[in-house]
Amino acid sequence: MNAHIVYLLPLICSFSGAVLSAIPVLYLERIVSVLASHLAFFAVIYLLFQPEYISDYFYIDGLSKLLMLAIAMVYISTVLYSLAYLKHIKNPLFQSRLYYFLLNVFASTMFFSVSMDNVGLIWVGVEATTVSSALLVATENDQVTVEAAWRYVIIVSTGLVISLIATTFIYGSSGTLSFHALMLNHPDNRVFLIGILLGLIGFGTKAGIFPMHTWLPDVHGKAPAPVSAIFSGVLLPVALYAMARLVQIYPVAVIRTFALILGILTVIVAALMMTVQNNYKRMFAYSSMENMGMILVGFSLGGYGLLGAVIIILSHGLAKSAVFFLTGDVLAAYHTTEMDGVTGLMRRMPRTASALFLAAMAVTGAPPFATFAGELFIFSALIAKYGWVLALVVMLFLSIAFIAVNFRTGKMIFTGHEEMSKHAGRIETWVPVINLLLSLLPLLFIPYFEQLLHKFLVP
Amino acid sequence: MGFLLIVLTLLMQWEIYVAGVIFLFAVSSFIVAAFLILLGISRPQEGYLLFILAGLTLVIRGVIIPVIMNKALNRLYEKPWRVREDKPMLGVGGSILLSLILIIVGYFIYQNSLYEVLKIRSGSVPFALFLQASLLIISRRHAYIQMMGFLVMENAVVMLSGWVFSGLPFIVEAGAILDLLGLVVVSSLIIRVRENAISQEGDIYESELRG
Repeated sequence: MNAHIVYLLPLICSFSGAVLSAIPVLYLERIVSVLASHLAFFAVIYLLFQPEYISDYFYIDGLSKLLMLAIAMVYISTVLYSLAYLKHIKNPLFQSRLYYFLLNVFASTMFFSVSMDNVGLIWVGVEATTVSSALLVATENDQVTVEAAWRYVIIVSTGLVISLIATTFIYGSSGTLSFHALMLNHPDNRVFLIGILLGLIGFGTKAGIFPMHTWLPDVHGKAPAPVSAIFSGVLLPVALYAMARLVQIYPVAVIRTFALILGILTVIVAALMMTVQNNYKRMFAYSSMENMGMILVGFSLGGYGLLGAVIIILSHGLAKSAVFFLTGDVLAAYHTTEMDGVTGLMRRMPRTASALFLAAMAVTGAPPFATFAGELFIFSALIAKYGWVLALVVMLFLSIAFIAVNFRTGKMIFTGHEEMSKHAGRIETWVPVINLLLSLLPLLFIPYFEQLLHKFLVP
Repeated sequence: MGFLLIVLTLLMQWEIYVAGVIFLFAVSSFIVAAFLILLGISRPQEGYLLFILAGLTLVIRGVIIPVIMNKALNRLYEKPWRVREDKPMLGVGGSILLSLILIIVGYFIYQNSLYEVLKIRSGSVPFALFLQASLLIISRRHAYIQMMGFLVMENAVVMLSGWVFSGLPFIVEAGAILDLLGLVVVSSLIIRVRENAISQEGDIYESELRG
């Protein structure tokens, strides 16, 4: 057997999980999905200690491995949380078998996207994530969720057509779509430059980057909690991964500056939008957008900025999935996503409330969570390259986002003094609690990440 | 052929019946397939791949996708041939005028940015098609017509990759067509549920998906 097949194990595990989930045997889809997600996770852990693998079709380096780790961790927690959460959906659009089938296909398309050595095949993978996840958004089967799913399909697919055009430009000007070939040798002409710029815009649509972000709050606000969690936690970073690779193959000032401007504008718009939200799921969706903006800033800066971006991807992936799982608990208890309708959370659901309070801190970059360390790396790179003024502007908007999210979350948790019956703790609440604890872990592994990303850090 | 595609897209802007737009899309896919065959004949060095791609385009974009869309339309409505865009954002005259303006804009953008490098005079056609398709998505509210706009956009990319550049690697083209097929199937399902819900409850989503 070809030894290189180990690099495909996460993809094979999740795809096999999808195929087996389709078999109509009672509870088989749940057992298979739990097994597939765990096997994919162990395969990724094994891969972390393997050398880079670059072939005609695959490009698996430190960055790909860390993205796979983020996908695998959020994939497991999403499957586990879904086991309990699906029972609360009164009128699902389809049977649970189809839900798990789509979830596993969705995970396999994400593994596929971060393993490919070909800009075109990454496009195919990212578009396939849209195909596999669109129905998941509409699981709850009411008019608003279906409308959100439709907006997701049409806006994201249209945006991705722009990156398909970009792929055409890149291939037309260079004669190859292979990353490793393009990194070694690429043309230096206008067609190639326009191709990379269009690619950033197209994949940016999927990553929720301003000004193509409009689908993001709709989908996150209306999708079921586990779907919002996996979208925010890893789908957006997978699209950012494609953008990072584009910057990596043509790291000229125009491209870097363009990506930096998009990233900073995303942070600014998301922070301002967070202050006017009254729907807690939409508010956290804008928080994801703000984090994606910071990650893009890190990727555009390269070096230790990129290390910071990867730390945020891992930590934010776990913490934000925890947030969305917890919002699922809140929605099940209060039957509303309006913040005004949620008070006294600490009295009514103490475990959920405490976890939500800490998770909100984690996603807004508060110490001691790893997102804080990631932001520090990005700021140090930003200050070194562009000076204090720009860094202070970004810090100002991050502070606005921090206050908006934590003030409003605190209001839901601590206000309301009327007597409330205490909800019995739900077993699935332990999934976000564990995710939250795991989101601290990247701090301990920063030296190891540094080693994995070594080639990006040396000038 | 490029001129024909532009005329067909102009007709789509004019057409208010959904079935008519689907038919026009099928015709435009046949033209794209014919174009790929001609390209294959004129570029024998690229072997049989362009012919396979033409076959895939003909079967999937020209036949299967329109059939899926028509079937979805038949399941949803008693008189599918009478389904029409009730609330276009722009009137027919306005959208055709805007389309013509976009063709000119596409031409100028191309002439001033890429023509110097590519030296293909009619290379602006795919760009004009892309802009027209965007207008179709933006100016119509009916989900089927928006989907058709997206598919016309995809046809524009096939034209672009074949005409202006010499195509994409076959594996990427094949992957893109598969994605497209999956997307059409999933979209048809979503649109069916959406239209059913709107017909029963009216448009109630606006306030919840704002801001």
